[in-house]
This record gives sequence, C-alpha cells and structure tokens, in this order.
Amino acid sequence: MLFNSFVFLFAVPAHRSRLALIVVASYVFYAYAKWWFALLMAASTLVGFVGGQLIEQTRARRRRKVVLGLTVALLLALLGAFKYAAFVGGNLTSFVGVITSHGFPGLHAFLNGIVLPIGISFYTFEGISYAADVFRGKLPAERNLLRYAFFISFFPHLIAGPIVRYGILQPQLLRKHRFDADRIRSGLLLFALGLAKKTLVADGFATWVNRYLDDPASLHAFEAWAAIVGFGFQIYFDFSAYSDMALGLARIFGIELPWNFNRPYRASSPIEFWRRWHVTLSTWLRDYLYIPLGGNRKGERRRDANLLATMGLGGLWHGASLNFVVWGLYQGFLLLATHRLRKLAVRVPPVVAVGLTFVVVMFGWVFFRLHSAAAIGHALRALAFGHGLGQVPGHLVLLIVAASAYTAVVPEEWTWDLKSFGFARVATVGALLAVAVSSIYTSHPFIYFRF
Amino acid sequence: MARLLVLLGTAAVLLGANAALNWWVDPFGEFWKPAAVREARDSQPPCLVSHEVIGGEYLPFKLDVFRARPTRTFVIGSSRVLKIGAWPGERTFANLGMPVISPEIVLRELRALPKSTPRQTMYLGVEAFWLNPSFKGFDVAPGFETRARYVLSRSAFGESLRILRRAPYVLLHRWHKERVGTSCVVGRSRPALAWRLDGSRVWSFELDPKTYHPAIDPFTTDLHKLRTGIYADWHELSAQRIRSLEQVLAFARARGWTVVGFTPPDGARYLRFFASNAVIGPRWRAFAALMPELFRRYGYRWLDFRDAGSIPCRQSDFVDGGYHTDAACSMRMRRRLDQAALKARKT
Repeated sequence: MLFNSFVFLFAVPAHRSRLALIVVASYVFYAYAKWWFALLMAASTLVGFVGGQLIEQTRARRRRKVVLGLTVALLLALLGAFKYAAFVGGNLTSFVGVITSHGFPGLHAFLNGIVLPIGISFYTFEGISYAADVFRGKLPAERNLLRYAFFISFFPHLIAGPIVRYGILQPQLLRKHRFDADRIRSGLLLFALGLAKKTLVADGFATWVNRYLDDPASLHAFEAWAAIVGFGFQIYFDFSAYSDMALGLARIFGIELPWNFNRPYRASSPIEFWRRWHVTLSTWLRDYLYIPLGGNRKGERRRDANLLATMGLGGLWHGASLNFVVWGLYQGFLLLATHRLRKLAVRVPPVVAVGLTFVVVMFGWVFFRLHSAAAIGHALRALAFGHGLGQVPGHLVLLIVAASAYTAVVPEEWTWDLKSFGFARVATVGALLAVAVSSIYTSHPFIYFRF
Repeated sequence: MARLLVLLGTAAVLLGANAALNWWVDPFGEFWKPAAVREARDSQPPCLVSHEVIGGEYLPFKLDVFRARPTRTFVIGSSRVLKIGAWPGERTFANLGMPVISPEIVLRELRALPKSTPRQTMYLGVEAFWLNPSFKGFDVAPGFETRARYVLSRSAFGESLRILRRAPYVLLHRWHKERVGTSCVVGRSRPALAWRLDGSRVWSFELDPKTYHPAIDPFTTDLHKLRTGIYADWHELSAQRIRSLEQVLAFARARGWTVVGFTPPDGARYLRFFASNAVIGPRWRAFAALMPELFRRYGYRWLDFRDAGSIPCRQSDFVDGGYHTDAACSMRMRRRLDQAALKARKT
C-alpha cells in the first residue's frame, strides 16, 4: 500500500500512542500487499533482535565478531534470496546455458516468479546498522522486543525509508507522548506538501519523461537532454516527496525521523551531492561499508577502490540489475575524481561548480532510468548529438525551468517552520491537499517503492 | 487546534465539492440513472437514451430493459450483438448484450433476472475470444474504492467542467430531451451514440447522418489491435471459460428456456486474418468445432455465422470494415435466429 493510494488515506488508523497498536497497524499495513511479507519482516525482526542480544552478551571480541557476522549474514540471506537470487541465478543459468546449450526453462520460470517484498532493502539495512552499533558499543542491545519491532516495522519509513538508525529512534520511544494539536498539524502539513509534490510535480514530470524515455531509439539531442534532466527532477521530487510524507506521518505519531534530502541539485561537487541526496543511505554506506573497508585511512589507491566498491554496492542496493551497478560505479568515479581534483587544488567559481555538478549528476541518471544496454546506448548516442538536434520539447523544458527556479530559491519543505503557519497558509496547504488527493486517480507509483 | 481544523476542513470542503460535482455531472457515466431511462420511456413517442447517461452502467440498464418489457426473447453477447433489436412493434424482445462481456458476466446477468419470468428464448452470441484465458471482461460492479477514486478524481473534475461549459444547464438538470436528426434523445450536450429502449444500440451516423459519419478505420492498425488486445496470448482454449459457458447453458436448461447459440460474423479481412494467423488460427478453428458440440450436449442449436455470407450479409454491411455489422445485417441474423428458435420449440 502506498501513501498516494486511496486505501491508505481512508484506512489508516487514527493516532495511537501505544507502541503495540502502532506495531500491529504497521504489520497490517505491510501485509496489505501480501500476507507473507509480514512473516518475512517478523523473521528479519527476530534475527536482528536476538542477534543484538547475543552480540552484547558475548565477551570475547572474536566471538562477538562471529555473532555479528552471523546476524548480518542471516539478514542479508533474506535480502539476497528475495532480491538478488533471480538476478544472480538468471545470469548464471544464462551463462551455463550458452556453454552447455541447455536453457533451464524451469529454473528460469522459478527465479522469475520470486516476488520482491517491498521495503526489504530498507529494513534489512536498518537491522544491520543496529547489530553493528551494538557490536561497536554505540548502543545497548534492546531488551524490549516490542520497541525493536516498532523500529523495524514503523510504517511511515517501512517501504521507502528514510533508513532509520535505532540510536535516533530509541530515545523517542522511551518518551511519553501526549496529544499535541500543533505537532499533528505540522505533521499533516508536511504530509500534505509531500503528497502535493508527488502527485502534482513528480507525476507531472513522469508523464513527459516516460513519453521520451520509453522509446530511447527515437530520441534526438534536445529531447534526450530534456528527458534525462526531467527524470532527474522527477526522481528527486518523487523520492523527496515520499520522505516528506514519511516525516510528516511519523511526526503525527510523535516520532521525528531523519531527513533525507536537502536540495541536492544545489550541490557544488559530487561529494556535496551525496551529502544532500538520500542522506540516510549515503551515511549508512559511509558508516557501515566504506569506513569498515578502510575508508581513506589506507592511502589514496585503497580509498579510491573503497569508494568504487561502496558506490557499486550502493548501486546494486537499488535493484538487482547491472545498470544500477554501472550507475553506482559512475557515482563512485565522480567522487574519486572530485578527490583528485581537490588535491590538484583546481578552483572553479561556485556557480560553475554547481552547474558542472548538475550536468554530471543528471548525465548519470541515464544508467539509472534505462535498464538495457541497447536503450542506454541509444540514449548516450542521442545525448552526444549522434541522432541530430531534434526539436526542443517545450512543455518539459518549461517544467524543468520552473523546478530549477523553485529548488534554487525555496528551501527543502521539511525545513519549513510549519508550526508558525497562520490560517491563510494552513488553508492554502489544505487546498493543495485536496488537489493532491484528487490527483491520486492518475498517480504513478513511487520510484523508490521498487527498491 | 483551530488551525488543524482549518487545514482538514479546507481539504474536506474542497474534496466534498469536487465529489459532489463529479457525482452530479458524472462525466464518464459511472452511476446508474434510472430516472433518465424512465423519462425516455414515458415520453410520447418514446425517446432514445444517450450513451452519456448510461456510460459504463450496462448491467443495471440491461436489467431495467428486461424488467420494463414483457420480455420473452432476448439476445445476449458482446458489442457485436448490440445491433440486434426488436422487430417494428415487437415489445417482447430485449437486447441484453454489452461491450467487453465474458461468460462470467453473462451468467451474472442471467442470475440477476427476475426468477418469476416466463420461459424465455435466449440467443447467445458467443465470441471466440471468450475462450482466451488472457481476455478479461468488463468490471460490471465497480467497488467502493473505484467509485471513490472516480468522484474524487481531478481528471473527472476537468471533464465535468468541460461538460458544464458546453451545456451549462447540466448544473440544474443532469440530462434533458434533445432532438438529434429526426430522433428524440434523453442526454446532454453530445447525445450521439444512443440506446433504444429494447436495449439495442444506435450509431451516431444513423441518428444524424448530416452531422456524424461512420468512423471508418484506415485499416492499418485494427488487425494489430486484435492480435495485441482481445486475442493476445491465446495459446489454449480456457477450460475455466468453457465451464462458465456450460454453467450458462445449464442455467438456461434448468429454467426450461429455448437457446440458440451463434457467433457473430466477421468481414473477409478478419476471416483471412483468423484463418492464416499461426497462433490464433488453430484456436479459432478449435472454438468453431467445439461450440456446436457443446450446445448439442445441452439440447440446444448452434448457428455458425462466422462467414457473413451464410447469413446472408455483404462486406459492405460491416460499418467498420470487418467487426461491427449494420442494422440490416443484424436483423437478418435475428431472422435466422428466430427461425432456429421456432424449429427448436417445435421439436
């Protein structure tokens, strides 16, 4: 069930202060898609909870490492089985099939039949961060299963993040909450702004972008650039809208979730971009992958290798498909190139730096949006003027200009002081909410819902 | 608290107004409006009912047609039987067909007919694509969520506003009687495609030949549409659909009805397409072989009208060049069906 669906809007229960009710509601919310998704989440919850306890109870460091390794392996096994088995198995059988001339149609059909449980990438990463934090002594292991179950299942962040760490959530779970109309209003306002951003802006982009990128072979240079920049804005408004809705919903329930976006296209370097884009993922990758791999502590070459490995795996996290790996590696390459340029003390004016970062980041979306090598090839040729200039797609360019101006001037919605909104602004957002709800009929699914 | 109420209140009032307008104007005909049909029926002489007023509410409309007439004979099937109507002055005939119908919907419709009806004669138009497991019938009973989506939707709101601009009277009267060509039609703003009170369909160009013309397909994509639409992925005769069809026949037999089955005709281009297509062809022939046997098993007759010449109809009788027949061809079909029913009753 997505936040931009009518069932969610009508069926979501009223404010509940008790954890148990929220956990039950979250499981019902999750099981609405498929009942066994809830069982899978319960299994992941138990693995993380028991793993945390065992890590804390084990004294010897080496043994603790083994317990941590086992916990992480079990969590990743669930993710691997449902997210990557079809990808790995499919590629292997195809490879073996080429050599042995056997097609393995039964195995292919089985692998293709595996359904990806929504949100599994997010709650697996949350479980891993919890186990690692307990191992590092940053957190005491949670002894209350209900609180841990809340951490994993809390429905606002369950499906598409933000990726929450237990250290942020635990103190809030220990606090007692009272009915607070201001807080609820603020949460509702943020939710409404997110829904409006999704249904009115992101979906507006989607209509035009899909028209062009669904048939990359027919693209010319102007259309290709407009479509790929349009997709950059689409995915940004789409995902940041989901994050705003998640933050707003959580606030209604008295929980403050970490923010995920801060106008990433204002970044003046790829490094800064990743400090503004999907921040809960990028910091997770930094803390639980890049630094354990050695980070920048073991020389430049090792740092570069670590960056590429981290970003490549980060790309793979987005989806079991090679194009995501290529996208991740491309981002890794941008990061290490930035490090090298900084070392050379290359200085460019801030406006130029922002413009260059914008272009290279937007170019990277080709590998994210298009999945087949042929489609990517067509798009790259078109972007490189290989198919001629073509016509300027006026509607899409207009949308891009408006979105660029808005994001350049207006700060991210979650930073707005919503509690100080007066009657006029509250009524305006109420009207926006009504328009957004009425647009759900033609809404596109959230992009990050697939991951 | 007051500002929270303002936020929710503003959204609720605007959504409520949106829903009320969409429900009232009902731009895509998603709500059954029996009063409009009653008005057409009570007019002297009776009027036609515009498709704008019926929209997707085929099932309640057709049931209403059946109940409002002393029906003894009815035809049921897809959009290709919709031109089969009553003979002049005949009040005992009803057309219960509807577009994108499936055997399951036929069964549902038959079960919804009044139980105390006299014995009926049913002309069952069976489509080959019904036996394609990938074919899905029309949703004749949309649920609460579908209706909520509809009344709250922005696209429906936009269409409501367009209708109001064209026909401002809709704000006060949801429909009115209009003259289109020489016919009286209960509708609003664009009463082109219409329904007779026997449930048969009237094309816009039949109503008003000066304004409307047959939509002649340029014949570049129609066969592609068949391949990728109702006949797509047809690799086997659906056992489930055959069972549903048998349930329909068993239902009729339990009620003591006379049944004549038939398949509506196809134009020469379509016949060539079906005969030559490597995937559809074998299933299409298997369907034709199965139907007479299936109907015979229940003691019913089957008329194979696939070749229009057997009715007889000409190629020019297909208004769209291959799929839909005109009124004269459809009524010749009706005559053949009547003759078969008469023979069946005598035996």
